[in-house]
Amino acid sequence: MLVAEIEVARRTFPVLADLRVDPGQRLAVHGPSGAGKTTVLEAIAGVVPLRRGLVRLGPRVLSRTASPRLQVPIPERRVGLLRQAAMLFPHLTVAENLGYSRRGPGGRPAGPDPGWLALLVERLGLQGLLEVRPAGLSGGQSQRVALARVLASDHQALLLDEPLTGQDPALRLELRLVLAELIARRPVPALLVTHDLDEAQAFGDRLAVMDRGRVLQLGPPAEVVRRPASRRVAELVGYSALIATDRCRFPGSGAPAPGWVAVHPDKVVMGAVPAAGPSLQGRVVSVHPSGALWSVWSQLESGERIRLRLPLPVAAGEPVTVTLVDPPLFDATGQLVPVPRWSEPDRARR
Amino acid sequence: MDRTLGAPGALDPLWVSLGASGLALGVIVLGGTPLGWLLARDRLPAGRLIEVGLLGPLLMPPLVIGLLLVFMVGPNTPIGQLLGHLGLSATNTFLAVVIAEVYEAAPYYVLGVQAAVAAVDRDLEVEAELLGDHPFRRWRRVTLPLAAPGLASALAITWARAIGAFGAVIIVAYHPFGLPLQIWTSLQETGLGSALPFALLLVVVALPLPVLAYLWSARARRRD
Repeated sequence: MLVAEIEVARRTFPVLADLRVDPGQRLAVHGPSGAGKTTVLEAIAGVVPLRRGLVRLGPRVLSRTASPRLQVPIPERRVGLLRQAAMLFPHLTVAENLGYSRRGPGGRPAGPDPGWLALLVERLGLQGLLEVRPAGLSGGQSQRVALARVLASDHQALLLDEPLTGQDPALRLELRLVLAELIARRPVPALLVTHDLDEAQAFGDRLAVMDRGRVLQLGPPAEVVRRPASRRVAELVGYSALIATDRCRFPGSGAPAPGWVAVHPDKVVMGAVPAAGPSLQGRVVSVHPSGALWSVWSQLESGERIRLRLPLPVAAGEPVTVTLVDPPLFDATGQLVPVPRWSEPDRARR
Repeated sequence: MDRTLGAPGALDPLWVSLGASGLALGVIVLGGTPLGWLLARDRLPAGRLIEVGLLGPLLMPPLVIGLLLVFMVGPNTPIGQLLGHLGLSATNTFLAVVIAEVYEAAPYYVLGVQAAVAAVDRDLEVEAELLGDHPFRRWRRVTLPLAAPGLASALAITWARAIGAFGAVIIVAYHPFGLPLQIWTSLQETGLGSALPFALLLVVVALPLPVLAYLWSARARRRD
């Protein structure tokens, strides 16, 4: 198990995290730029020092600030870290970069396993690039070579910082599957940092949401998005607006205590559907296509504007009623109300 | 030219110059490479002070450097006395020529190494460590190859500077004659005609290394 109980000093704010990842388990860390996600990975890899804390990988302590203080040198930590910039060695070809690690399977000084390397080259689409130097690669190709290189090296934990950055959207989706398949073949604790929520959900067994150096919530990806622990987490996992409860029409026994309902653009249906959640009324302000859906800006009766993604187009200026499907509800202090009162009658029926 | 260079002992200055400059270059490379690397990576407690100390010989006229050397390693100084105990002298000896050349040329090499190493992305070195390289192997596999064009340029300049050293050498080691001193004395005693063959000889032995280093380093930069 990888254990990281860390505090790292930074110029703006300290980064604190308490993470545990079992072998074979995948933890995705999501948050805005500058939240401290990369710092967490670098602290585990030993690239940045801890102010306080402990990093342990299985029985081996890698960093400890308590007495006796310990900081295992980077080459001996056996932690694979893929950084945001590809960091390919410019004087070596792709093949030489891929085989750079001198440690083979089980830490033997033989270099990467040729069979495994061939699989990585094939699955990450690097055939034909092996004799090319990094200067001749595109950004996406460089990133894939860097990903293959870190996967090829012998490591007991894998840390990936925005591994699919720079890939075109279609390839990015395919690479998610490839990455999951490749990681599954080497069951070590794996951490992936990304500001792309979709990617974080696709990768992680668990999802940690970070902001300003703190882990705000940690849990199963679907649960974190369905029930964000606070208004800030809701914002970070894709909720685009917070509407005061007294501006919504609640089914059943009426409005709950004063608070806020979070609006997710994808979790809405047209019309009032009391069994699904509270509804809002407004007028369409603008409509434009968004992928296969329609992005609709609607102005509520109360004056707020919300963005929705609907399967069918609506005309600008038309009145519209939408139901927020199972939205999280926050009390006046911004904390999640565990079970929204409006859903109780529905639960009682079941 | 035949008469000048064919005279008995006429090529002695060539051997002195080649021997002293070769030795000086070896000393400079052995000591200057780690020093330049440590300066580039801010690993020395008084790094800025050392840089100032290196800039001194670069900025001062060579004759003044020679005078300073007399005060540092002359027979009445602690270093001079220590050398005396070992049966050596840093005045008018082959050793003095080497010391003067080292003092005059070393700053070019150390500051050149410092610039070449500083140009190597520190993150690439960290990457090598993440892939399992310890410091020496990291230096050999990443830092050295990437800094090599810069190191080659520094080596070329240092060689040219050492073999052509005159100002400091004439103060601490009027004898034995190297080529620069031979050119000077020939010019003073017998005129331009007898100085020119030695000047040509100096150019012939001094230039190949810088030219080769320049060509190699230009090719390496193009390749990257």
